[in-house]
Amino acid sequence: MEAIRKLFFCSILITVFRCVYCDDFKEEIFLKPLPPTHLYGYFQFVTLVNSETSSFHSHLAPRSLTEVISRFQVEELHLTLTEGQWRHHQWGYPVLDAAPGAELYAWFSPDVLDVDTQWKKLSSTLSGLFCASLNFIDNFNTVTPQMALWPMGAVKSGQNVTSQLRYASLPREIVCTENLTPWKKLLPCESSRGFSSLLNSRMIHNTNYHSIGVHVRKICKSNDCSETQLEIKQTVALVYDYDIINSNDWSFRKLFGQGLPGACPLSSESKIYIDVTSNDTQAYTLTPPPDSVIVSQRGGSDTKLAVYNIKADGQMINIGAKHNSKRDLPVSVPPPLHFNRYILGYGKEFGGIVTELTNNCWTSINVVVLENAPWWLPIQLSSLRVNGEAESSLVLSQYYSPGRSRQKPYHLELLIKLPPRSTTTVTIDFEFVFLKWQEYPPDANHGFYVGSALISANLPTARNYTSLPIGGTTFDSIVNASKQWYPIVFRTNGAMVSLPTPDFSMPYNVICLACTVVALAFGPLHNICTKELVLKPLGTPVSLTQKLFNLFKKKKD
Amino acid sequence: MGLLSDPEYGSVKWVRVLKRVHGPLCFLCYLGALVWFFMLGNKEFNNETYFSENALLPGLVTNEFNGEHSAKQFYNEFMQELEDKYNDVEEIPVPWLVGKMSQLHLEVYTHNFTLNYPLGQGQVYKGTNVYGILRAPRTSSLEALVVSAPFRALESHQKGTGAGIALMLAFAKFARPQKYWAKDIIFLITEHEQLGMQAWLEAYHGLHNDAETFHTSLGSFWKPGIPSLDLSSFMPGFEWAGGDYKKCLDPGTLKGRSGSIQAAINLEFDTPKIKYIEVKIEGLNGQLPNLDLVNLVHKLCVKSGIHHSFRNSYSWIRGRNKMDDWMNGFWTMFDMVVSQIDGVPDGNHGLFHRFGIEAVTLEGRGPADAAGPAPRAHSLSTANFYRLGVALEAILRSLNNLLERFHQSYFFYLLAATNRFISIGQYMPSLCLLCVAMLIRALSLWVSIQQDGDEETDKQDTKTKSPKIDKDSDSEVPGDEKVEEVKPRRKSVKDDSSMSVVNIGANYLLVHLIGYAVMNSPIILSQIGARYNKPSEVSVYYGLIAVSIVLTIVTPFLPRVLRKGRITYEELSLVNILLLIELSTVCLSVGMQNFPLGLAIAVVYTPLALMCSVVVKGGGKGRALYLFFRRVLCLLVHPLLAVSLCMILFSRVLFPEEGILDMISRGSDAAMQATMFSIVDSMIYGNWLFNLTTAVILPIWILFWQILTIKVEAP
Repeated sequence: MEAIRKLFFCSILITVFRCVYCDDFKEEIFLKPLPPTHLYGYFQFVTLVNSETSSFHSHLAPRSLTEVISRFQVEELHLTLTEGQWRHHQWGYPVLDAAPGAELYAWFSPDVLDVDTQWKKLSSTLSGLFCASLNFIDNFNTVTPQMALWPMGAVKSGQNVTSQLRYASLPREIVCTENLTPWKKLLPCESSRGFSSLLNSRMIHNTNYHSIGVHVRKICKSNDCSETQLEIKQTVALVYDYDIINSNDWSFRKLFGQGLPGACPLSSESKIYIDVTSNDTQAYTLTPPPDSVIVSQRGGSDTKLAVYNIKADGQMINIGAKHNSKRDLPVSVPPPLHFNRYILGYGKEFGGIVTELTNNCWTSINVVVLENAPWWLPIQLSSLRVNGEAESSLVLSQYYSPGRSRQKPYHLELLIKLPPRSTTTVTIDFEFVFLKWQEYPPDANHGFYVGSALISANLPTARNYTSLPIGGTTFDSIVNASKQWYPIVFRTNGAMVSLPTPDFSMPYNVICLACTVVALAFGPLHNICTKELVLKPLGTPVSLTQKLFNLFKKKKD
Repeated sequence: MGLLSDPEYGSVKWVRVLKRVHGPLCFLCYLGALVWFFMLGNKEFNNETYFSENALLPGLVTNEFNGEHSAKQFYNEFMQELEDKYNDVEEIPVPWLVGKMSQLHLEVYTHNFTLNYPLGQGQVYKGTNVYGILRAPRTSSLEALVVSAPFRALESHQKGTGAGIALMLAFAKFARPQKYWAKDIIFLITEHEQLGMQAWLEAYHGLHNDAETFHTSLGSFWKPGIPSLDLSSFMPGFEWAGGDYKKCLDPGTLKGRSGSIQAAINLEFDTPKIKYIEVKIEGLNGQLPNLDLVNLVHKLCVKSGIHHSFRNSYSWIRGRNKMDDWMNGFWTMFDMVVSQIDGVPDGNHGLFHRFGIEAVTLEGRGPADAAGPAPRAHSLSTANFYRLGVALEAILRSLNNLLERFHQSYFFYLLAATNRFISIGQYMPSLCLLCVAMLIRALSLWVSIQQDGDEETDKQDTKTKSPKIDKDSDSEVPGDEKVEEVKPRRKSVKDDSSMSVVNIGANYLLVHLIGYAVMNSPIILSQIGARYNKPSEVSVYYGLIAVSIVLTIVTPFLPRVLRKGRITYEELSLVNILLLIELSTVCLSVGMQNFPLGLAIAVVYTPLALMCSVVVKGGGKGRALYLFFRRVLCLLVHPLLAVSLCMILFSRVLFPEEGILDMISRGSDAAMQATMFSIVDSMIYGNWLFNLTTAVILPIWILFWQILTIKVEAP
């Protein structure tokens, strides 16, 4: 008996040990001041799942998500829910960019034959998982990017990845607490311990920009990539405005409403990185002092990172920065590539979408621009102009798939070579169309959202670049990670057009009119049906009122 | 058509009645229209304003504006800056504005624009606008509101706008740290009054100057590279200097943008110590902002404790009796109508309207304002930056609540007081009555020539034919009757060629082409003038006078040139009918867009239209006198002469002490300026007035003149 009990304990211990070994959880915060007035906070929670096959036996990884992944045979999945607009021109580049509203794209395994059905199922399932309206994703707002998106994870060589890819964005989606709560439930410590306890919806929804995301991909376990691991990365990006929080000095208490109650006990690594490069020009002191400061040289730009190792000892930590002088007027350095997107023209007949790309760099940059116009905004390839020219030598390659009414969006992809120190304008025109009256959304006069364009670029310099290298999982990987190219995918700002909208108060008026008519008709009908006509014999005595009435009657005759 | 083509209708009762009563009936219609218009000022004929858009929620927020001190500081600094550095130059203090706005942490941009003056010797004007964008948190910059102020130099003859700019900056400072904004706010300071605003708006909406004039650029910005008409290829000898006049306003490009603009508030405050705010609403081509916005501004002025006015209607004055109210309402409305006729906006807000943006101007006025004294304005309490700021905050926060664009309430209305309005359904009957008068006249003319024609055919045809036609048309369906109707007429053409539609049509077309040519003539006239070193306004004005005189003399002979024989009574009557129909259609369609302009055209031309008839040779002295009277009337309503006469009379009103000659010279100078302004406005801003007058009204006038000067044989 004793031996059996011992064996049982041993086996439990071994299982626990094995599972701890197979699932790995790390949490990180990256903070970066964005001069002059903003502060960028980026949270990432990485769970590495070793055994990708056994989605039913998970330890740290969220089972609800891994089940979805394995059920729908998803190779790679990116879902972001964003409120606000990342302003690349002022703020530089985020670690992971996201389109305003909801954005979902996924690569399915090559075994999946009917990708569209699988895609529809996946989006509907995720819609339930994150309480977002992802179920509105359908064929009419889904595209298959040809050049703009590439998998971040490990892919078998020789595999056709493009045909297994689906991309959709819902720019009208409003992101709020109801999305954050299910998102937090996926974390091993939920929101009770660890970094995620800082994600207090009261505070983070008051930021200028917030974006939550789930990124699932397969990464190589070893250098030869014979085995793969599933990496589930949950991210939150926040941008605070010093003007709105009322001072340049920030602290966790000010930003999140509370201090940090230590690390999550289940995490193998809990680190906070603070970009203190701007400390040289805009002196501030961090309290408490960081455990170490790393200097990273990457692509010709030096970055200083202050690192805090947080332990799960349950002690409250309140990291903050205090500026030494208040009179500084810092100037932001414009990033090498920035862009602007807007709608041309006015009126309800014709319009145009302009995407302006500015290359500040000393060398030319190749970018892929993906314009994804909904079916009610028919863009015509014939009206495409790059810098006002129909046949531009800047366009290296182009892909256009015309939309179909109520079935398929318009999809245009251009591979453009941006000359050094120049601005390139891509203009494409559209005609306004009439919708059927039931197709108008509520508040039809609010306008219709045009989603962001995707811009995918290989930057030659790492100025303003904060993304992790493609093989990296945690922030240590950015230290001295110089490469030839720094790939990044941007989302431009969206736009709004007001389609010709009928006067929706008219049906109301018609109802009023119809009701009046019915009401008027009802009285006489009711009278006829319920009252009896009585024949009155002549010569009966008439009352005084009757006499008066008769008097008028005679006059009329 | 069944009624009109019925061969028997000559004897139908209504035709006989119409023939007898059409004169008095038309006169009654005309009178009725004027009376109706007069009645609109009465409270029984107009309505109290109300909020149609519930999302505005006006005045529900607690005002928090606390920037009074900073507004004062901005004001003093701005005036100091202007006095120190910009005392003798008419330039916008770009560095100061950019510096202040960036200190407030707005996204600041400058915008350069160029005007190549279309007439004259190729003058080039340059200007700069400064704007700062307050990005609303948590939004992706899809919608925006604009707060603008024109910059006016110290030596400008107009009132300054320093306090408006200071208030705007103080408001920006107050609004920047607020987290409730759902729409971006663009703070815009424009140079060169409306020119800067037009340039900024065109640049914001991506219109380019290579898209010809503003009219054609409306839709053609999406089609670059359309071959334009090259005039020099037709007349190589003549030098079309400045041939690229079409690109007169180069709006330049904007570096920073926000989303689609929902509403705009333009501030014109000279000093914070104003007595009341005048809310200006009239826009380009008589377009008006949504009534909800106007109403919102008035209501929030009341709430913020600021006196406000609209033309003759002052918030602090209430009529003692109904008659007072009526007269006040009428004069407010009349004033509004008169100022809308020319279609020139009375502030920078007016240019927003054509881009589908609702906008108003708030102008601060003191007790002794250039616009005229307001009654009892001295006794009002003086406003200050705090109250103005609170009012601006309330307006913008209310607009911030707006979920949809302004689409409810009224876009076509007249205001009879700050809180009373007349909707399109109430004022249109007066214009319709005028047009109905013209249409009745046309119908009666049609009836009479048809009958005359019938009598003629009756005379020529054998008597056996006509009963047959009668019988046929009685039995046949109405659609076939048309064929029957054409038959006798064709016969009569064949017989004595009394009716040739082709000849009339050619004349009609030619006259309208002349109008089109006159519309395009100012450029040529100014170029001819430039050869003799005359200023362009002189050359254009006198050129137009010369063209008018030539046309007056030549056009009566046009129909004779176009056909061999003499013109007949029927043909001229048909021209008259077409003319009446065209005039009434023009009045109605113009009136739908710009009611005052349509009404003015109708009021001026209806008497002539009702009196005008084909002149028959012979007749007594009385008839000759009547003819002379009609011809004089016709000459008087010639567009150019009418404008000149109006200006002379107006200068008489303004300067009653001057002699006749001074008056005429002053008046003609004013008319010259007015003509020039309307031409330039049409080229830069797309004002219709000049184009409408030359391309539509002038041909109509020429046709009237032809009818009155050509004498024909009696039928």
